[in-house]
Amino acid sequence: MVSYVVRRLLWAIPTLLGVFTIIFVLTYMLPGDPVRAIMGEQYRRADPETIERVREQLGFNDPWYEQYARFLWRSVRGDLGQSYVLDETVKDILIYRFPRTLQLMGAALLVAVILGIPAGIIAARFQYSWLDHSLMLLALVGIAMPVFWQAILAKIYLTQGTYGVALFPVAGYGDGQFIYLVLPSLVLGTHLSATIARVMRSSLLEERSKDYSRTARSKGLTTHAVIFNHQLRNALIPVVTVIGLDVGYLLGGSVVTETVFNWPGLGRAVVNAILRRDTPVVIGTLIFGALLFVIVNLIVDLIYALINPQIRY
Amino acid sequence: MKQFRRSLLIMLIGVMTVAWGQGTLNYPISADPEHLDPWRSTTVATRRVLVNIYEGLVTLDPLTAEIIPALAESWDISDDGRTYTFKLRQGVLFQAVDDVTYENREMTAQDVVWSWLRYLSEDTNVSEHPEYLSDITGATAYMSGEADSVAGLEIIDDYTLKVTIDQPSHRFLANLINAYVVPEEALTARGDDLSNRPVGTGPFMFESWNRDDQLILTKNPEYWETGYPKLDSVRFVNIPDNTTGVLQYREGEIDLLFDIPAAQFKALQTEFSSEYHEEPGLNVLYWGFKMTEPPFGDNPKLRQAFNHAIDRELIWDILMEGSRRPGTSGVLPPEMPASDVTPYTYDPEKAKELLAEAGYPNGEGLESITLYYFASADDAPQVAFQDMLKQIGVTIDLQKEDNSSYWGHVGEPDVKLFLSGWSADFADPSEIFDFLFAEGRDDTKYDNPEVNALLKEATATSDEAARNAIYKQVHELIMADAPWIVSSYSKVSFLQKPAVEDFLVSPAGTYRAPLKYVVLNR
Repeated sequence: MVSYVVRRLLWAIPTLLGVFTIIFVLTYMLPGDPVRAIMGEQYRRADPETIERVREQLGFNDPWYEQYARFLWRSVRGDLGQSYVLDETVKDILIYRFPRTLQLMGAALLVAVILGIPAGIIAARFQYSWLDHSLMLLALVGIAMPVFWQAILAKIYLTQGTYGVALFPVAGYGDGQFIYLVLPSLVLGTHLSATIARVMRSSLLEERSKDYSRTARSKGLTTHAVIFNHQLRNALIPVVTVIGLDVGYLLGGSVVTETVFNWPGLGRAVVNAILRRDTPVVIGTLIFGALLFVIVNLIVDLIYALINPQIRY
Repeated sequence: MKQFRRSLLIMLIGVMTVAWGQGTLNYPISADPEHLDPWRSTTVATRRVLVNIYEGLVTLDPLTAEIIPALAESWDISDDGRTYTFKLRQGVLFQAVDDVTYENREMTAQDVVWSWLRYLSEDTNVSEHPEYLSDITGATAYMSGEADSVAGLEIIDDYTLKVTIDQPSHRFLANLINAYVVPEEALTARGDDLSNRPVGTGPFMFESWNRDDQLILTKNPEYWETGYPKLDSVRFVNIPDNTTGVLQYREGEIDLLFDIPAAQFKALQTEFSSEYHEEPGLNVLYWGFKMTEPPFGDNPKLRQAFNHAIDRELIWDILMEGSRRPGTSGVLPPEMPASDVTPYTYDPEKAKELLAEAGYPNGEGLESITLYYFASADDAPQVAFQDMLKQIGVTIDLQKEDNSSYWGHVGEPDVKLFLSGWSADFADPSEIFDFLFAEGRDDTKYDNPEVNALLKEATATSDEAARNAIYKQVHELIMADAPWIVSSYSKVSFLQKPAVEDFLVSPAGTYRAPLKYVVLNR
């Protein structure tokens, strides 16, 4: 078990190096003049000499391999560097924004699990009933509906006195109060719960057709007992995989949700950094995200072993 | 149940804190400032905040955007236009903050010189605006390290500063608007952190900043202008999505709304008819021709044909619901002096004639041309542009690019036709001519020696009428060359809650509006 964890963590090194190289190449190959993007919309007011000095001082005149080596060497030493645009180090950016992303992610996942798993179980238990059909239709709608649209609907009916009830603030982080978290996590959570519900349902149905389920039923167990004592554990493995993928996806920050709810999370910082060609921030935050992804994947694999004793590492 | 009760309680507290203090203006910002460094501010996002914390010797009139005194009480200009003697305001105190110990809290000529010298740095980590002060005699030598001081800066006494510039320039005072006076002690005490926690002489003091979230300024109780600021504090709320902004405005979470979504322009104007305000603005939007490349570069008739083919009124008054003013005069917005020139009217017949004279009768022989535009621009005007040119037989392909790659790309020779825009800071033709029509600085690469020479002459002309006569001449030359198709001029349009009074807006735009005058009646 320990050696497995160590081995997996060692594998992270080539993975991260690969991620680093891909991000560097992509940002390097982006069309256009990065200095213009870095200097903001008023770059045309600056005199040409100043623009040239910025280019020189940020090292854009160096050949690509020198820039690559410089970034790599710095990252290896654990120094993520300083943003080209913001007066913040990449470390500051992560320290400030990651906890906020984590908060939103945690709450959204909680909503997703609380809604998704029971919905999937109920749908499977009453397969082809009106309950199943309506739940799965709802899930289909949930998957198909873009988050931003869901957010707009939620906001119009739950924050606007004119159209619905003004229960929640429209957007913002406030001073971290719970009430600001409710709407964004509901919107993001219900969106994720749709997939979870569908996977839960199909996975349970698959278990139902297996021999052990038939045996359990034939020895006279109630459907209830069969599901909760026998099938659920097995059926959870694909669900855990889906949740694990969601976690990985959300760790980088959910850009759309963060934007429409003015949530100061990591996703917005990354997107802004890409738009402003802020390479240190892009590289630093994405490497951080990749590292987390590796760890989450590892945890998911370890959870498999917890759920299913047959899986051993 | 206990958990539930607790969360209810937390929600209640949350609702109570949503209602902000009486004297706090909730001010929306669509982009977080990159930093709050007075020497390196290049974006509207930073300036919107900085104008309330820092001051220069001069500033813009809140209503007319003309240059008025700020930290300087008055100034004399010598007859040759090269020497400015500034009388500084007495009794201006730097903001009192816990971690900065001042030798002398009063702002004096020494402070001005110290702050200005820092602008004249070659290190872009220190300053990105040497051009504010590079006209001063000896500034270039100081920057390159050849001199320890700037010859043209002379401190007469604590409240008198004599400045000599190389050549007379009517833009010199305007350049000082953003050359802020900063206390040296604050930089010593805070170091690099001063760019995140600024200290100045302005009406508001920096309080706190949660990045991408909110930035709070509080009243400077010792501000030199008695009775101001009226507000207790200002809360800049970061709202990246303009639809969210509308919803927040409607619920009263913000007191002003600047980014009115174009698609909801008419609807919101109707919904908030008594809260809607509009002023003419100084932003120009244009479609530019690459003047160094075929097919436009060597063919003025073709450029003129395009100019006559576009119905600007249809695009902006009807299609875009009046969100901007159609560009039916010249390259200068109508509020500027020298803006009165013969415009290109919508005349498809004339466009066809000119197209034939250009060598492409009914568009024959002219390959399809790609119009590049940036992602944050509206699509409708570009589609209309495409359709209107189709009417005279020209095929236009549309190519939209994300903003950051776009601005790096439009200067390249492969972009022959592109959308661009420019915001003048105040109503002077130099604000547009000097940056967009002088020596190929614009992405059109327009470079007319006659225009260049006239612009130099105008800069050195201190008599306003004579100068504007030169600008008129320049404007006519530019119109004849037609490097642009003027699309529209901006409106400074915004929503303002009835409780807000004296939010004074000039054509320079809302970001320049000084918040010290604002009164809240809640």
